[in-house]
Amino acid sequence: MKPDPSLLEQLDRTWRDPPGLWGFLTTVDHKRIAARYIVTALLLMFLAGMLALDMRWQLSVPENTRMTPQLFNESFSLHGSTMLFLVSVPLMEAMAFWLVPLMLGARNMAFPRLGAFSFWLYFGGVLTLWVAHAIDITPDLGWFEYPPLSGPAYSPGHRADIWAQMITFTEVAALAASVNVAATILKMRPPGMTLARMPVFLWAMLIASIMTMFSMPAVMLVTSMLIADRLVSTQFFSVAAGGDAVLFQHLFWFFGHPEVYIIFVPATGFVSSIVETFSRRVLYGHSVLVLAILSIGALAFGLWVHHMFAVGLPRLGNDFYTAASMAIAVPAGLQIFCWLATIGTGRTWFPTPMLWILGFVATFVIGGLSGVMTASAALDLQLTDTYFIVAHLHYVLIGGAIFPLFGAFCYWYPKATGRLMSERWGKVAFVLIVGGFNLGFFPMHLLGLEGMPRRVYTYPAHMGWDMLNQIATAGSAIAVTGGLVFAANALCSYWRGKPSGADPWGGSTLEWATASPPPAYNIPFTPRVDSLTPMWNGGAPLPALDGIAIDTREVLVSSVTDAQPLYRQKSAGPSIWPLVAALAVSAMFIASIFTPWAIPIGALPIGAALTGWFWPNRPRAKIGALEAAP
Amino acid sequence: MRVRGATILAPVALLALAACTNEARTLGPSLPQTAPAGNADPRVPAYQANLYQVAQGGRYFMWYGCSGCHDDSARGAANLSDGRWRRGGGFADVYRAIARHRPAPAYEATVPVEQLWQLTAYVRDLPAHHPEKRRRVTLDQEGEPQGSQWSGPQ
Ligand code: HEC
Ligand code: HEM
Ligand SMILES: [Cu+2]
Repeated sequence: MKPDPSLLEQLDRTWRDPPGLWGFLTTVDHKRIAARYIVTALLLMFLAGMLALDMRWQLSVPENTRMTPQLFNESFSLHGSTMLFLVSVPLMEAMAFWLVPLMLGARNMAFPRLGAFSFWLYFGGVLTLWVAHAIDITPDLGWFEYPPLSGPAYSPGHRADIWAQMITFTEVAALAASVNVAATILKMRPPGMTLARMPVFLWAMLIASIMTMFSMPAVMLVTSMLIADRLVSTQFFSVAAGGDAVLFQHLFWFFGHPEVYIIFVPATGFVSSIVETFSRRVLYGHSVLVLAILSIGALAFGLWVHHMFAVGLPRLGNDFYTAASMAIAVPAGLQIFCWLATIGTGRTWFPTPMLWILGFVATFVIGGLSGVMTASAALDLQLTDTYFIVAHLHYVLIGGAIFPLFGAFCYWYPKATGRLMSERWGKVAFVLIVGGFNLGFFPMHLLGLEGMPRRVYTYPAHMGWDMLNQIATAGSAIAVTGGLVFAANALCSYWRGKPSGADPWGGSTLEWATASPPPAYNIPFTPRVDSLTPMWNGGAPLPALDGIAIDTREVLVSSVTDAQPLYRQKSAGPSIWPLVAALAVSAMFIASIFTPWAIPIGALPIGAALTGWFWPNRPRAKIGALEAAP
Repeated sequence: MRVRGATILAPVALLALAACTNEARTLGPSLPQTAPAGNADPRVPAYQANLYQVAQGGRYFMWYGCSGCHDDSARGAANLSDGRWRRGGGFADVYRAIARHRPAPAYEATVPVEQLWQLTAYVRDLPAHHPEKRRRVTLDQEGEPQGSQWSGPQ
């Protein structure tokens, strides 16, 4: 279908942002919001990566004096907290923000202003942690801060508060984002995209969002209890007063374990999209993949205790959680086999995005295997808090999430910018990162088995750990170099890359139907879908549905299972209120580190901001329901 | 050079000067091997204005059994949180009151110098501590060997 230019002009007038700074502050365009998320998170990944390199430098030789113990504590705490709370999870949400409406052929998210609010609040969390770092109030107790160590007696000052409040920020932001993604996927699918015809990517994002909604409240609760213990002397975690320090660990890991799957499940969505496109065939075992993701989503809530085997739970309890942890290898394995079968039976080719998938499979399988090892309570007692865990967690997080993310970045880069990234430099970066990573992190397994603890700032010379530590540092440096090449490639290609056209890879899903980069209104018409791979219809134009307004912001709402069009819905336009509300919430969060009065007093500006946000913007109806016109 | 957010957030670094050095934590062997040479000894701020050192002093306050006599119900001169000092409120004054404590023992015979510095900083900080908070901290430290429960080094 070839839309006529006057229609496109009208759509553009309706959907574009006001120009300049005001447009920047008020935008509710999901693509701009997602881009902000992505740029911020990548910058933080760079900073946290530099911290990591610094730590590896410190550990490269025994008795090194580059870092003091305190600085080392701060470094791994800042590195871990940043990478998990401010990089991985937000990046996955941002990819959903960017892609979900495009893949649905929709004009925006279900709640455009909530999306803007989510970003500003996330940004508040970023500033909280890193500004605090700049003024030397860096959290120093690791990425999970157990009481009593983090309680009022042993953590004077505000370091622990900063960590806990950074969590509150990012979790509120994540909840806002998840609600938005889930509502969009469930209620804004184009006609014909029944649940059975929904791409795996959308399933993955939907399930990750639902997992977020169930798990994040636990960690917000537990960090709020910690703050209450510290600020107003409650006794949640005070054993002597009948509180329970282990409660903190339970609630934290009830969130913490699903968290790693909230990072991994979206990655399986990227992998599915990339594998399908480059294998030139519908995914092998589509339903198996969807069911596997669903069961991972469910099982993930039943394993948290494997982070606490050393706490001393009853034997039977440990056995139960060992079994549950091992069970998750089954759906994860099924997924891997489905992808391999797709790759093996398709007309597959291997440009950079596909290479990342191969890197992902190899690395993630190793991480999965070390995971099954640590899932055994007996073995875990030996391995916990050693470098083996550092190896395992980086294999699953980097191999299982960051590699697919890099693949996704290369795959969708042309859609976002209209230009292709250099294949040659893409391959150089791939080899450096995957090679350097494995060189750097594999020896850590051996270090752990030889007894080197994690979170130590140095070690004596005669332990026999020198050689492996040097290799680990060298590998890390190579991987970080590769990361810089990757970033340079992305930057240069932004200006110099070959123009890509709308659909450079021959993709299977709807985001490839629109121009690259997509215009403010995303797509000129609402597509109708009759298969899992709507773009693979022999080159015929996509059938379209008409009737959505073009002179005002309007979106189509459809039914949950069958995607039957239900009604047209007004979509909110640019507004400053999300930013104002986020500022009010940030002020309250920050002030509540210092005084409990911040909560009642800080609630007033929040109430005012929300009132402004929800102020009715259409005239009061002249006829009430009872007097409806005959 | 340490990689810091300051590189991107330069203006904020200004705040650093004003605000938050009281959070600094130095672990490992440190300065004072001798008693303060008067209330204006230049080493004083590193203890008195540092939350970590004050908190360490709080732990020793329990360990050495000071809290047994100087609890919230202590009266008169033994009340350390009323802001009135019989033996003077300067750093060196309080240090001396502990080192040559009356009633006996004189703690300089048993307590290492650095810990005396930390104890002094804590004692001088006490008037600013909320009783609720002090009780809460005590609860967390219940498990540590203190006063009469002390059964020698472990
Ligand atoms: C046996 C009970 C007891 C113990 C144990 C004890 N004190 Fe005292 N302390 C007292 C009494 C009683 C006084 C008041 C003496 C007086 O009347 O001048 C006092 C006075 C002081 C003063 C002077 C207060 C002023 O107003 O100038 C300081 C400082 C002090 N104690 C610190 C400590 C510290 C620190 C410890 C632990 C290392 C400790 N005390 C242990 C009973 C005790
Ligand atoms: C090349 C990149 C990276 C290097 C060289 C690196 C290196 C390190 C090092 C040296 C530690 C401290 C280990 C210790 O002594 O305890 C660490 C901890 C950690 N890293 Fe990384 N890392 C990298 C990337 C990542 C990424 C991408 C993530 C997450 C997505 C991540 C998550 C973590 C976590 C959660 C911890 C634990 C922090 C804690 O103990 O509280 N790292 N890393
Ligand atoms: Cu886990």
